Amino acid sequence: MTATTSTTSEKPRVAADARDVCRFLSEYSGWILGSGASCIRLEKNVRRIAHAYGKKAEITITPHHVHISIVAPDNDEAVSAIASSVPGPVSFNIITELSRLSWEIADTGLTLDAARRRLADITGNDKQNKWLVLALVAVANASFCRLFGGDLTAMAIVCIATFAGYYIKQCLLGAGVDLRVTVIVCAFVSSVLGATDYLFALGSTPAITIGTSILYLVPGIPYLNSFSDMLYRYYICSFSRLMDALVLTACLSSGLCAGMMLMNVGMF
Amino acid sequence: MDLTAKIFQDALFAAIAAIGFAAISRPPLRAYPYCALIAALGHSMRFILMNNPAHPVHIFGASLAAAFFIGVLAVFLSPIARTPAEACFFPSLLPMIPGMYAYKAFGGLAMCVLSDDPQVFDFYFFQFSHNAFVCISVLLGMVIGATAPVFIFKKISFQATR
Repeated sequence: MTATTSTTSEKPRVAADARDVCRFLSEYSGWILGSGASCIRLEKNVRRIAHAYGKKAEITITPHHVHISIVAPDNDEAVSAIASSVPGPVSFNIITELSRLSWEIADTGLTLDAARRRLADITGNDKQNKWLVLALVAVANASFCRLFGGDLTAMAIVCIATFAGYYIKQCLLGAGVDLRVTVIVCAFVSSVLGATDYLFALGSTPAITIGTSILYLVPGIPYLNSFSDMLYRYYICSFSRLMDALVLTACLSSGLCAGMMLMNVGMF
Repeated sequence: MDLTAKIFQDALFAAIAAIGFAAISRPPLRAYPYCALIAALGHSMRFILMNNPAHPVHIFGASLAAAFFIGVLAVFLSPIARTPAEACFFPSLLPMIPGMYAYKAFGGLAMCVLSDDPQVFDFYFFQFSHNAFVCISVLLGMVIGATAPVFIFKKISFQATR
């Protein structure tokens, strides 16, 4: 869980106070962890920035916090900070831009003030058109239905079920409702709509319709991050992410079961 | 429909699914075409491995091989897209996530709890354990397959955003 940078013998391009570097890196780490970066990515970026400012960094990554200690090798000044992960959706855009920022600091000697401004710009400009995302997710899940062998009717029903479910997800999360409750509600609504293929005998693949109508809720990125962290031996973060993903999968299964029971459709 | 048409159809729908599911995880705009391309090639490779009439491969082996292919493509395309490799390969892997197995496993578990008859319990316990094992092994295989190229070509993959 702990990573230590090698002490640099080269003179840093930009002189910076250990306290300021620590404060910046704790904010940086909170954002990149909250955006869904894998632990190895966080560790490498923080190490790169600390090295660029001529400091030695020790990092401990826990599921919701990052503990950073910055040591100035020249005068043994040491500063520690604990940053909370910034809660929010997964954003590869933020991860990409923060990785670029780390290289910019390392390669061009960006000052700490300029780096702080860039961090604020990156984190403040990560906006998405929610209607576009809604449409893309609905079409994607309909395509997913096709990949599982669903017919055109199944695709159309899955598209509508996903659109309704994802719209509710956006509204509930926007209103601050717990993610697990949101997933149960969305799975319930999508499976009820998906079950119409069974009830009205609209198409020839009703089982695929109902099965794929809730697949947009499967927490794919937490599963992938969890196993990625496991491979790099960040076991605590890996286990936490795996548990989060399993709990969400259990929630979506509960919503699906409730929807199928309500519509009197044979379970599994 | 012949096998070639099925392969193209699989690639097309995997690309659309990758773009849509990628939107949930907000990659940079310039990464979308790469995600679509990588997903189309990776998913159609898995389709060929699983559905070829001569030697059909199990979903685990097919997913492992396809994920490795996706990882290699992502490592070499990420410097062009100027994004970290995982911003390209995670969205591309999403259409291969065994979601159906995951919720069937939980469904089986729920039915185990609700069933009193030993035979019914055995059936659902088999459904739970089989689906859970397949789901976990496929996920593990996918991540090992896709992450291995990042290990092998460390220098390229961690300098993509430079």
